[in-house]
Amino acid sequence: MLTDGRFDTSTLALDFPLQPSHLAVVLQVAIPVLILLVTRRSSHAFAIAGLFSFLGLAAAVALLVQQTRGGAVISPDSIGELPLGPGIDVPLHLQVDRLSVLVAVAVGLVSWAVQLFTRWYLYSDPRYRQFASAVGLFTAAMELVVLSGDVLLILVGWELMGWCSYLLIGHESERPKARRAAYKAFIVTRIADAPLVIGLAILSLGAHSTGIDAILRHWSAAADAHGTALTAALLCLICAVAGKSAQVPFQDWLPDAMEGPTPASALIHAATMVAAGTVVLGKLVTLLELSDTARVVLALVASISMVGAGVLAFLQHDLKRLLAWSTVSQVGLMLLGLAVVSADQTADLGIAHLLSHAMFKALLFLMIGWLSVVVSGTTVERLSGALSKHPEARRMVGIGLLALAGVPPLVGFVSKDLIVDEAARRGIDGDFTARIAFAALICVVLLTAAYTMRMWLILIHRTGSQRVQVREWVEDSYDVQDVGIVEMLTDLPQVDIHGRPTDRTAPIELPDDLELADQQPGGGARFGLQLLALLSVVGGLLVLSPMLDVDWKHPNVWLIGASLLLMGAVGLLVRLMSVGTVYGDAAARVPLFVRASASRGFAVDSLYVAFGRSIVALAQAVSRLDDVLDRGVQRLPALSATVVRRADRLHTHRPTSGLVAVSVGLVAVGLMGVILW
Amino acid sequence: MVAALFAAPLAPVVAGLALVVGDRSIRSVSRHTAYIVSLVAMLASLLASIVVAYDRPVLDRQWVPEVGMRLHLAVDGISVPLLLMTAAVGVLVVLHARHEQPAGGTPATFFGCLLLVIGGGIATFLVQDAISFFLAFEVVLVPMWVLINRFGDRRDPRERARAAGTFVLYTVLGSTLMLVGILTMSFAAGTTDLAGLAANPMSPGKQTAVAALLLIGLGIKVPMWPLHSWLPRAHTVAPTAGSILLAAVLLKMGTYGVVRLVVAPLPDGVERLAPYVGTCAVIGIIWGGLVCLVERSLKRLVAWSSVAHMGFVLLGLMSGTTIGLQAALFANIAHGVISALLFAVVGGLKHRWGDDDLDTARRSLRDVSPRLSLALVIGFAASMGLPGLAGFWGEVLAIFGAWTPGGDRPTGWFRVLAMFASLGAVLAAGYALRVLRIVWHGPAEGGLPPEPEPAGDARGNEWLVTSVLSAATIVLGVIPLILLQTTSGAVDQLMAVIGR
Repeated sequence: MLTDGRFDTSTLALDFPLQPSHLAVVLQVAIPVLILLVTRRSSHAFAIAGLFSFLGLAAAVALLVQQTRGGAVISPDSIGELPLGPGIDVPLHLQVDRLSVLVAVAVGLVSWAVQLFTRWYLYSDPRYRQFASAVGLFTAAMELVVLSGDVLLILVGWELMGWCSYLLIGHESERPKARRAAYKAFIVTRIADAPLVIGLAILSLGAHSTGIDAILRHWSAAADAHGTALTAALLCLICAVAGKSAQVPFQDWLPDAMEGPTPASALIHAATMVAAGTVVLGKLVTLLELSDTARVVLALVASISMVGAGVLAFLQHDLKRLLAWSTVSQVGLMLLGLAVVSADQTADLGIAHLLSHAMFKALLFLMIGWLSVVVSGTTVERLSGALSKHPEARRMVGIGLLALAGVPPLVGFVSKDLIVDEAARRGIDGDFTARIAFAALICVVLLTAAYTMRMWLILIHRTGSQRVQVREWVEDSYDVQDVGIVEMLTDLPQVDIHGRPTDRTAPIELPDDLELADQQPGGGARFGLQLLALLSVVGGLLVLSPMLDVDWKHPNVWLIGASLLLMGAVGLLVRLMSVGTVYGDAAARVPLFVRASASRGFAVDSLYVAFGRSIVALAQAVSRLDDVLDRGVQRLPALSATVVRRADRLHTHRPTSGLVAVSVGLVAVGLMGVILW
Repeated sequence: MVAALFAAPLAPVVAGLALVVGDRSIRSVSRHTAYIVSLVAMLASLLASIVVAYDRPVLDRQWVPEVGMRLHLAVDGISVPLLLMTAAVGVLVVLHARHEQPAGGTPATFFGCLLLVIGGGIATFLVQDAISFFLAFEVVLVPMWVLINRFGDRRDPRERARAAGTFVLYTVLGSTLMLVGILTMSFAAGTTDLAGLAANPMSPGKQTAVAALLLIGLGIKVPMWPLHSWLPRAHTVAPTAGSILLAAVLLKMGTYGVVRLVVAPLPDGVERLAPYVGTCAVIGIIWGGLVCLVERSLKRLVAWSSVAHMGFVLLGLMSGTTIGLQAALFANIAHGVISALLFAVVGGLKHRWGDDDLDTARRSLRDVSPRLSLALVIGFAASMGLPGLAGFWGEVLAIFGAWTPGGDRPTGWFRVLAMFASLGAVLAAGYALRVLRIVWHGPAEGGLPPEPEPAGDARGNEWLVTSVLSAATIVLGVIPLILLQTTSGAVDQLMAVIGR
């Protein structure tokens, strides 16, 4: 099939309608389709999910190789051009370039690791099939956003991701908190998305095309003449990005989204939804450079979110929520990476941090998932000392936290330092946006060091581990009682539904959860984790490759040294604060009311609720108004009936009345005739 | 292939009349016979519609020369999708009626009325003559009234009578206005042919007056805010099959009428009225969305969401751009499929629950009835305009179309409308998730999910109907091109005429 020069072995160019870029999306879509149509059992579903997400990753890697060798098709078609008249072209083609290919591989990789881990994490979950399907669809949507060369396709992937996040967060819909979190995540991001359609309409109707190249070309030329329109469009986009990336003022959905199973959090935070904003703005970064207002707004939003989230992360009582706030902070960093670049540059800085964040954050979330299964909880009390039992887990969590803190030479250091350098350089050149960014970045570097140090100290806390052991003994004693009851039941003769004893004395099957606590993830899941850990260590080497166009040859050594010193000092301070606390928690020194308020995200939720209430009140008012309208309508037939009845009475009850009416009419006509004549 | 032009509408009409009349004879028709006859008639009609859609035959004869009325049957890109959808939905409705046959009358009458409504709908989309359009338009009223009044919700006879009465009186009022408009146009143009009407435009002032009459008349059918009051009532009471027909066929006749009788022949009038109609449409979007946020009856909620969705269709039609028209025609079909799906599912739920009150706590549907719950999720996800499903393209493109309206329409005002429309889409997400949270997720408090109850899930015909509609929803969402390409040629022609 691939002979006759359709496949070029040197560049891997493929002359075929179906390109690796299509496969990277389609193979992920195949997961939900096949699972829902073909499978009925979790094991079959896992076979499909594991295989196809690996194939999806393979397609992305093939695309990467094609791209490096110059054999990739730049803009492959997707579902065909929509015929929408002369005013606008809707080519709906994909776009394959350096950055999108790199992100596509990262997304495929994280998704594969998540699929492998999920099988272990949700082994006995009756809804495993639905979860794996949603993960597949989610990944497909993100790949579509990453690889799309058309704003409408971006919108498709963008909204689909919101929907999948709803499905994943609300996976355990038996729990009211999970239902609420899912609802909140979708509604908050959907509200933020309302301007997105408008922004995209401005951009594409101005350029007479929804293709991204055409939009960039048109607006780069028209920026002077139509600056206001461009700024308005970009502000609309920034609003939507702030929603999906959980930046101020939409930040509060993300920590609540921790109600979803941990693999879902890993997927949402590491590679997909939250990072999508960076990808979309990265595609349009050239335009961002043309509008100072939009840049300043983006830098302010990102800076405030970044610093605020850093503070909140330090104060969280639940370590999973700590990671959630750290995501908000890190995404702010990526967005700053886009806000500080100068006009001739591409989005490499932001994308580089996206890639590194994808690796270490996926690793950290999956590790927290693992630990939470072991100690059955994610609060400080539960997780305190959790790492002392599992050396392998200890190593990987350590790598993840070091990368998050930005310690050289891990991947987090490389990508973060590049952004700090650039902000410093442009700040010195007198760029206002870069100065805001630089100030916020310094705060965040320190805050990140503080909360990662705090998390590490909690996890390796010694006395904490003893406490956990004691509690486990207590819980074991409960388990023994349970087992006693179970054995008692199995010893009794079995009866069927009619109460007759059956012959079989089959032992009652215990749910798998009881045995799960001592397990560690299976080989596949551990392999995925190790891969992520490895990439978190050596991933920084990527900047040396030609795939990323960043200036790594001129590091600001003084700046690096100073920030490392400060980080060390902060780490020491956190260590000192943790001494003598029950769970090794440095934040225990902070007043309780501050911590309690921070755990609720400074009660931003109540603002959301108030907003929702006002909408519902409006809805009730409208509903009442409509009742009034409806009553009015209902009265119309009654009114006409009354009129008819009156006329009827006029006619039948008094036979002469009709005659009177006619004669009155005659007189009137006669009078008019006389007058007019 | 001209025979197909007759077969498509006449097969259901004749079969329907035969069933209704046969029911009055000495031996009433059995349920099984009625079902088989209806199914065969509908399949024949669907086949004929496919032939018509593929072959596009034309029949143009003198009919009533006294009023210049002709027997002109033909299809173009605008009517083909509607024709096919009506015939296909007709088959599904018959299948569904076999599964859920409401009390209140004999089966033959029920099936007969369904067939008459479908036949009238098919005829509406086939005729190319304003007077015959009016006739076909009116044919559906009486059988629909019977469906609502006799086969509707058994719980409240007074409400049933009132809903049916409101439906008929309201739509007859609309039809009267429409007839006046049609006659004015016909006498001015000297022909009743739709193409002829478009070819002989009137003076702008007259156009505005006639367009206003027609828009009020057709706006009742669409329905356009504030003329929508009959719709929630009728939908709430109507049997499931009747609701599906109301949403997928009757409402579409209204929008089709707007395209044929208003947008095409009266471009100047539409241009003058567009800001007002567009405003009503957007108020309808917001109004419907808000009412859905607090509505307690599930069926009524779906009916209200129709008001919101039809607002997008009207907004697209009023924008006067190719993109807006394409969007409106797409959203029109999409709404037909989605609301048919939703009414099938919601009607099934009402049947099972005994009522459709959202405040009653029930077990989560996702665990109890996996098949029905999947259809419900697809339906509501499509209703909120989720990409990959049918609702997305029409609504997004309608907003795009309204952003740069054509002709001398006030751009600034249409942009305000577009912004409010995009807020309306957010409301759609709000109410869709509200329903999913109550019905799909359920009110459970922890613990493992309950076991499914296969006996209570969708089976047989009901499952067939919901899966076909779900599949259609997905196909339209993933491959919008199949529909946009069909309508594109006719829309370009239309734009060439009205863009003068």
